[in-house]
Amino acid sequence: MSEQGVPDRVSRLRMIRVLVQKDLTLFFRNRFFAFITVLGLVVWIAIFYALPKTVDEILELGIVAPDVPPSALAALEEEEEGLVVIKAGSEEALKAAMLEGDYNVGAVLPAGFMDQIAAGGKAPVKLYFTVDLPQDLHQAYVILFQEWAYLLTGEPLEVEATEEVLGVDMAGQQISLRHRMLPLLAVFLLMMETLGLASLLSGEVVTGTLHALLISPLRAVDLFAGKGVSGIGLAFIQATLLMALTGGFSQQPLLMLTALLLGALLVTGIGFLLSLTGRDMMAVMSWGLLAILVLILPALGVLLPGTVSSWVKVIPSYYLVDTVHRVMNFGAGWRDVWTNLVILLGFGLAFCGLGVVALERKLR
Amino acid sequence: MSLRRVAVLLFKEFTQGSKSFMFIFALVVPIVLSLAIMLVFGNLFSGKPKLGIADAGHSDLVPAASAVDALIVKEYDSEDQLKQAVENGAVDAGVVLPADFDQLVKAGEKASLSAYVWGESLLKNRVIVGVAMAFLIRDLTGLEAPVDITTGLVGEGESVPWEERLLPVVLLMATVLGGSMVPSTSLVEEKQKRTLRGLIITPTTLADVFAAKGLVGVILSYVVVLVILVLNGGFGSQPVLLLLVLGLGTVMSAFFGLLLGAFLKDVDTLFAVLKGTGILLYAPAIVYLFPELPQWIGRLFPTYYLIGPVIEISQRGATWSDVALDVFILLGLILLMLVGVILAVRWLSRQEI
Repeated sequence: MSEQGVPDRVSRLRMIRVLVQKDLTLFFRNRFFAFITVLGLVVWIAIFYALPKTVDEILELGIVAPDVPPSALAALEEEEEGLVVIKAGSEEALKAAMLEGDYNVGAVLPAGFMDQIAAGGKAPVKLYFTVDLPQDLHQAYVILFQEWAYLLTGEPLEVEATEEVLGVDMAGQQISLRHRMLPLLAVFLLMMETLGLASLLSGEVVTGTLHALLISPLRAVDLFAGKGVSGIGLAFIQATLLMALTGGFSQQPLLMLTALLLGALLVTGIGFLLSLTGRDMMAVMSWGLLAILVLILPALGVLLPGTVSSWVKVIPSYYLVDTVHRVMNFGAGWRDVWTNLVILLGFGLAFCGLGVVALERKLR
Repeated sequence: MSLRRVAVLLFKEFTQGSKSFMFIFALVVPIVLSLAIMLVFGNLFSGKPKLGIADAGHSDLVPAASAVDALIVKEYDSEDQLKQAVENGAVDAGVVLPADFDQLVKAGEKASLSAYVWGESLLKNRVIVGVAMAFLIRDLTGLEAPVDITTGLVGEGESVPWEERLLPVVLLMATVLGGSMVPSTSLVEEKQKRTLRGLIITPTTLADVFAAKGLVGVILSYVVVLVILVLNGGFGSQPVLLLLVLGLGTVMSAFFGLLLGAFLKDVDTLFAVLKGTGILLYAPAIVYLFPELPQWIGRLFPTYYLIGPVIEISQRGATWSDVALDVFILLGLILLMLVGVILAVRWLSRQEI
């Protein structure tokens, strides 16, 4: 403390540290938030590992075709990348393999099949489907065999098609569901932490604790810095743990950490604003859930591509989700996502600033 | 207990309590979830490839493609819109058909088309779209495929789509959310705000309060359950039996909520307990969703005797004789919980609220 009674920098830092310690103690004393903090982290990680780590993008097809030359089957596989044809010795063996779960579709082409095709007749084909293959997909295999039969007759298709792959061609190296899910889990986790901070703050506003603190030598800016550090710290540490335990730092760890830190700043700002919405945990929860619903929309765009349009970019969490997704799943670097980080920082500072100003006004 | 006082309290619960977060949450979340499941599993997760078409003319290929069950076809007004849709993954692949496409194909002349493929599209989807397009183009020429295909099924049972498989889970959630959370939260809040004490120094008894709060839970969750069944067309072949079982389920949930409300002191603890017991309440549904798990595990949890008959009735066409034993066990559980609630009311009346 200086001679005029104004706290010096060291005293201010000490006061902020005490505030952070108090907030963390209070946070973990709230059984609900303490419980969901630990449970949430465990559950999110469990969900991640419960989701499939690979993508099944191959069509496997069993076939009994005694007089179809292997070259014809190989030509079919070559023509249709993504199709794997597995030969079976007999119809019984084919059905047994299907029941074992080796493949969901089996075809039986009787002896004389090639001769009948060559003679211009209609050759019989029996297609079997396992009961768990959705009925709507049966037609796809019927069409596949009809088209293949055309190919066997040597009938050319009089169409010249130009094909262009848009975006990174991920054929053979698709993003698994668990990795698509990770940005969503990160946003969820960050937001749940914010609800705790918001509940804590709203409680302190109602009970007058914040008022009392503000008439002490503690400056308003230090008070909110303390709250900010608590909020960012809680959110950031958990998001970092989640990423560390799910392999999220396998690509560009520093970049990922920066994105998470900025994400924590953003949700802390939102937490400040949420704390203005009510007097107790229930009120904060109701507004908080609404905020969560809005913030997870961009993550749905990663999980279910094509479901959201470009307007989703107005939601600040888009820039966190997009960064995490691109860094983790497409190996993006600083140069690719720096604009996202700048926008995220801007949103974070703006929300924190708005929240602090609004809280100060409320306290006055 | 006075029926008139219960009715007055019930009216108050619906007029005042309906503005509370938990009431709205229990009312809205299951319905929204049900709609989301229909959308996500009915279309997005159907496993069917999505084909976009930008048709500059009036090609017969468009209605023909739309008629293919294995495809989801979306039409676009321009090539730019189509490219945009492919780029953001709204469709797996897109084709641009020139105005004279049909004419050229039918005349046996060389036609051309542009195709765009989304980079993240699965190989199997690319195969299906490509093969379907080739087949449909040949079909335009009037050619008949040189094969005669018959189809058959291997294995027993039938494929239950995910949106149908998840329906009992959503119904269970609606029953538990409305039935348990609304009465328990309302009771705990009244205890915290000391309004319960204020109530019982009037002629109103604790039994009246418990009856009113329990009824709110039952009515709310039953309404939500009905809405979900209507939205999903999920009444099955035994609607009366299904509604009876679900009605009993809402009563069991309400008793559970009243027990929680009686013994817990604050909302924080209540939420922690609800989160902690959630896995026990939903465990039978989780076991059912994964047929590879031993199904007897589900029977260890009380909510099985609600969800088990619901699954049997709604998805397997079970009749009363098939589910009678489970329904009687459910009734037994309800009676046990009723005894618990009566004891809880007596205990609470001796406490300083």
